[in-house]
Amino acid sequence: MDTAPYLVHRFGTSLVVLAGVSVVTYGLLFLTPGDPAEVILSQQLDRQPSEAEIEAFRAEHGMDEPVPLQYADWLTDVLRGDLGTSYYSDASVTGLILDALPLTLELAAASVVVALALAIPTGVLSAVHRGTAIDRASQLGALVGVSMPNFWLGYLLILVFALTLGVLPVAGAGSYSQLVLPAITLGTGMAAVLTRLVRSSMLDVLDEGYLDTARSKGLRKRIVVYKHALRNALVPVVTILGVQLGALLNGAVVIEIVFQRPGLGMLLVDAVFERNYPVVQGITLFTAVAFVVTNLLVDLSYRYLDPRVELGGDPA
Amino acid sequence: MTTTPPTLEYGPDDAATPDDEATNLLAVENLQVQFGTHDGPVRAVDGVSFSLEPGETVGIVGESGCGKSVTARSIVGLQEPGEVVGGTVHIDGVNVHEASDRARRQLRGDTVSMVFQDPDQTLNPAFDVGEQIAESLKVHDQPERQRLLDYLHAPLFANRSDWRDHRERAVELMDQVGIDEPADRVDDYPHEFSGGMRQRAGLAIALASDPDLLIADEPTTALDTTTQAQLLDRLRRLTDERNMATLLITHDLGVVADICDRVVVLYAGQVMETGPTDRVLAAPHHPYTRALLECRTSRAARKRRVPTIEGTVPERLGEQPGCPFAPRCPAAVDACREGEPPTFERDDGTVRCREGVVFGEPDADGGLGLEYGCGETQCDEGDSSTTSATASTRSASQPLRTDAGTDSLVSLEGVSKRYQQAGGLLRRLLGTDRSLQAVDDVTLEIAAGETLGLVGESGSGKSTLANLVTGLETPTSGAVRFDGDLVGAAGTRTAATLHDVGVVFQNPRSSLNPRLPVAQVIAEPLHANGWNEQRRRDRVSELLESVGLSERHAERYPHELSGGQLQRVAIARAIALDPRLVVLDEPVSALDVSVQARILNLLLELQRDLELTYLLISHDLDVVEHVSDRVVVLSNGEVVEAGPTERVLAEPSHPETAALVEAVPRLEHSSQ
Repeated sequence: MDTAPYLVHRFGTSLVVLAGVSVVTYGLLFLTPGDPAEVILSQQLDRQPSEAEIEAFRAEHGMDEPVPLQYADWLTDVLRGDLGTSYYSDASVTGLILDALPLTLELAAASVVVALALAIPTGVLSAVHRGTAIDRASQLGALVGVSMPNFWLGYLLILVFALTLGVLPVAGAGSYSQLVLPAITLGTGMAAVLTRLVRSSMLDVLDEGYLDTARSKGLRKRIVVYKHALRNALVPVVTILGVQLGALLNGAVVIEIVFQRPGLGMLLVDAVFERNYPVVQGITLFTAVAFVVTNLLVDLSYRYLDPRVELGGDPA
Repeated sequence: MTTTPPTLEYGPDDAATPDDEATNLLAVENLQVQFGTHDGPVRAVDGVSFSLEPGETVGIVGESGCGKSVTARSIVGLQEPGEVVGGTVHIDGVNVHEASDRARRQLRGDTVSMVFQDPDQTLNPAFDVGEQIAESLKVHDQPERQRLLDYLHAPLFANRSDWRDHRERAVELMDQVGIDEPADRVDDYPHEFSGGMRQRAGLAIALASDPDLLIADEPTTALDTTTQAQLLDRLRRLTDERNMATLLITHDLGVVADICDRVVVLYAGQVMETGPTDRVLAAPHHPYTRALLECRTSRAARKRRVPTIEGTVPERLGEQPGCPFAPRCPAAVDACREGEPPTFERDDGTVRCREGVVFGEPDADGGLGLEYGCGETQCDEGDSSTTSATASTRSASQPLRTDAGTDSLVSLEGVSKRYQQAGGLLRRLLGTDRSLQAVDDVTLEIAAGETLGLVGESGSGKSTLANLVTGLETPTSGAVRFDGDLVGAAGTRTAATLHDVGVVFQNPRSSLNPRLPVAQVIAEPLHANGWNEQRRRDRVSELLESVGLSERHAERYPHELSGGQLQRVAIARAIALDPRLVVLDEPVSALDVSVQARILNLLLELQRDLELTYLLISHDLDVVEHVSDRVVVLSNGEVVEAGPTERVLAEPSHPETAALVEAVPRLEHSSQ
């Protein structure tokens, strides 16, 4: 199947997914107990707000209308690119997200780099030297990495590298040195999952007949392994990498709190505690879009990795 | 004499001297390869010696499990997970197993190339065909300048113009190995090639290094007869042009007769006999060689038992005295079971057999005056009388077949089947869907009690037609009738109509559930038909017996059985409900010659005993000729010829049939 109709089809299904996400998040927020107007005003005024004040706040933020109508208004705004304004300041949600986004992207990208840089060589070595000490050591490492909660690893790293050795800053954002510890914290957990996957995927591929063909050409072992074998072993790895990117955003929430990075995760957590609904909805929707797009990219990359993949199958 | 094989204890001559290694392109000396198993090391190759001169074509033959492939792979150093525990392999004077990685790469890139068996597995699915050939050319040109980033085509690191040149040369090579429109196909991926084309691409990869020695491991086994003939022809031409030596591993003696100068017969990892092809095939000295030749269906009279070699190739665990073939050898004497057989040097080769002492020269017609385990009475005619006996045995063999009635059991009327390719709603709306005409307006009948052979190249619609008869697929137009009733889709039919048809598929390893023991595999159709446990158990033991298996096989799992035994299980399952029609889809093509013969004998016996009607699909014309009463030739989904077997195969009237018949490699061509 050609790429163009496939993309049209995927775009269509993505819209359905996003519409679903928006309904669910919007609906869930209104099912949560407590009146946001009351909560927010009592925090802002530092006292119990009067009926009139609550009414005024509701009218200001369109909360006096029926929920479906509120949703419809919100959706029309979203389609125009306007995610609404924060309940606390007059800052636009889009602006808040765009301000926080670079820090999160930076962290995600660095973590993926750390994860791949660890997982691919370790997984490949482990598979090529199956059953040896190298294999056992890397498997043990992967097991530890998978089992360790990342916030705990974060505090451990802060303790060792920042507080004891003093070679890296404890927290904050803005410089590359401040990125190192969070990226390692977030990347190693992912690396552990990927290492196991690279290993098992490589083991499957190493028995394939075409590697004998490659060897019998007189190719160096390194080219046989890293060109002919790895390319075929990467298909399942990329799939999981795509799914892991979602987990990465979840992980970023925790890591940004641990390392006090004012990214998307921190913004979300603050907004949830403050019942700042427009911000929560905006970030959720934004994350869903990011998820859909990365998965689309992953699917498209299959065709490059494995030319046998027919894109899309039956769109009907 | 072209070779100096070593002689073991009783041999009159001396072993090969080191000087020979210098003149031989390939010298294998007493090679021993072992595989570690739970029960200890298995000796897969056990003292094999032979050699090749430049330009020579030598065949290695033997049943599967004889160590042919392991020998071939060890020559290029690909014996893993096996281990070379003794002996040497010299290519161009270089000891392959002691050479450094670098020297071995040099050999592979320069002197020796290998073509592998399964074209589905020899090419890397992730790279286009041109890239894979270009890579081989590049290694040959610069064996020591292999940088990973260059080979990964990393921007800035890859030498682009170099790769472009190699790709252009790859196109030339593709042309030489017979790939049409190579310039268009160079960018195609392996999955876009047919099996035959992939094998040609594999050949192009091998030839890219302009080798002096080509090792081909069953290069045509997975191909249909016509494609096989084309590939062998191409191979012969290329080896002549390039004065290339070829070592051909095959179990097909017809292929050997077709292109080999000399033959090495392997059994249980040992060389049984060597010699010039013509002599070995016409007058084999070793009982094993003779037995292999006897098993060929083309040598047996139609519908009669094919001689078989009883028993199987042993796994050589630990020390076992005596000749490995002795347990299966009709001429074995006590001495054969006790001591190592001697290797005799002859003018034109060697024989490793005590036989040589006892019988000396073979008699005039090439026989050793031995009787093989033919059993029963059908194997009465001697070797030399086979041809003349054929005509008379046709009538004499009547009891072996059921009376082929004229009532038609299955009838197809104008049956067509189209497949949607790349379908889908959008394409249907746009009117751009493509479809494939797999079966096109076929009308034919299968009479009760007869065997109808269905032949044709791969892709001619044989299997689709079989699926239409069994109801696994429904025709796009036309009617399929079984015993007068319309055959609906398998899902819509009642148990009563379903159990009238049994099916045996090509590969028992994939057609039997690996997680069920044999008894349950066979009992599945009984279960589905509501038989109670006691009846099922009785029927299973009855079936096991009728297919020549015993009770002890009942609780084994498929992976514990050999290919031949598995096919027996598949047959037992097919006949479990006493069907009237059994569809045999390439029932023996995945099996060894000696096993093939036994399965064919079984099928003939069952047909006689159970009054079965067979629809046999095969690309092996020898098998079809042996078993079928009538033959239908398919081409592009259409019936191009139909008629009695003898007539169609002896005097084909359609060019397609003629081409199929012509393509079969036969011993008789070379020995006449």
